[in-house]
Amino acid sequence: MPEPDSVARWELAAGGKTKRALAPTANEQEVVQLFDELRSRLLRYLLALGLPAQDGEEVIQEVFLALFQHLQKGRSRQNLRGWIFRVAHNLGLKRRLARARETTGALASQEALAAIRSDPAENPEERLLSNQRYQRLQSVLRALPEQDQWCLTLRAEGLRYRDIAEVLDMSLASVSASLGRSLARFSRVDVNHGC
Amino acid sequence: MPHPDDHLSDQDLVLAADGELTPRRDAEVRAHLSACWQCRARMRGMEGAIADFVQLHSATLDRQLPPAAGPRAQLKARLAENAPQSAVPRRLVLAQAALGLTLAGVAIALVLYLVPRPNTASVPRPQLTPGAVRPVIKSDVCAVSGNQALVVPVALQRRVFEEYGIRNAQLDAYEVDYLITPELGGASDIRNLWPQPYSSTVWNARVKDALEERLHQMVCDGQLDLATAQHDIATNWIAAYKKYFNSSRPRQN
Repeated sequence: MPEPDSVARWELAAGGKTKRALAPTANEQEVVQLFDELRSRLLRYLLALGLPAQDGEEVIQEVFLALFQHLQKGRSRQNLRGWIFRVAHNLGLKRRLARARETTGALASQEALAAIRSDPAENPEERLLSNQRYQRLQSVLRALPEQDQWCLTLRAEGLRYRDIAEVLDMSLASVSASLGRSLARFSRVDVNHGC
Repeated sequence: MPHPDDHLSDQDLVLAADGELTPRRDAEVRAHLSACWQCRARMRGMEGAIADFVQLHSATLDRQLPPAAGPRAQLKARLAENAPQSAVPRRLVLAQAALGLTLAGVAIALVLYLVPRPNTASVPRPQLTPGAVRPVIKSDVCAVSGNQALVVPVALQRRVFEEYGIRNAQLDAYEVDYLITPELGGASDIRNLWPQPYSSTVWNARVKDALEERLHQMVCDGQLDLATAQHDIATNWIAAYKKYFNSSRPRQN
């Protein structure tokens, strides 16, 4: 029986006279399950690459259609989540290049940054300090090499080091060195501003 | 890289925080941390930095996420379009295929018998143009961008026309095209060239260019291996277009 929101697909039954709805195949179901699991994480990553949300959504559609073809051809099912992030990373960079975006490594727009963390429990001064601190963190982030930003973002989205190495085509040692270097800079953000 | 004064490196600290150390190294790092206030403070700094980044990352990006329902439904619809359309028993499929092949063979024989040569079309004749490749690997073809024009030498063009039995008077009606594009490792070899008629209105050179660009992109993105791309475009580029664009007709740009 088809799901309520599924698109009805029909085929002629054996007699050729009647029609019946086709249930989604196992591969379709698996792709949709992975979409449900990973879509938000992928979209955050693509936004962090500097893509607008609409482009990010289109890239994600391409990624999961490519995954479907991959499964239909009986190709490797080993570490599909890593495969998905790798294809999303590559397609995202291509899309960004096509958009000719000059904001190298921008993780969010200034407008979005200004809007963050407006906790109503904070008084205006606390809110300003809080936002100032986030702006300092944002500055630290922007000052990092782009690949270090990608490592941090992928790690924040739950990827293990081996997956990050595969997505970004780096060695494991380079991933850990990148994360160690970046987090050390973050940990010094308050020290450097006398907090 | 070791930290000065034999303290733990930043790398060791982040690996320990993420549970990525080998058991032996993990035991060494834990032993050091239990004895060293300085490294414990740095470890707390690292963990605070992780918390800061996660909060920054989520606070900045979560509010930009549109609802998932629309994209989810769109994906399901597109998957349904691309899914196998028939659940007919395999034996029946084979019988139908055999019948189809027989009829197709008869039809092709009739066409070859009735239509005078030269007979060129949107696809080359496989016995004359099976495709030929250079010894290249993925990194070679991905080092150059797709769809770069590569002129076929005039002498080679003449040989292609001769092979296809095309008279001089008709030369301006054709473009000598690579079957496997050089951007996918195709060779400048007569076995890889054929006269593509300008008169093709649907499956024309522009459509083939779009396929070549798509295949190049897929190969370089790791979605398709180079050998498969070469094979598919050489076997039947129109079928390859339909397959990789998921479309039975050329798409409008």
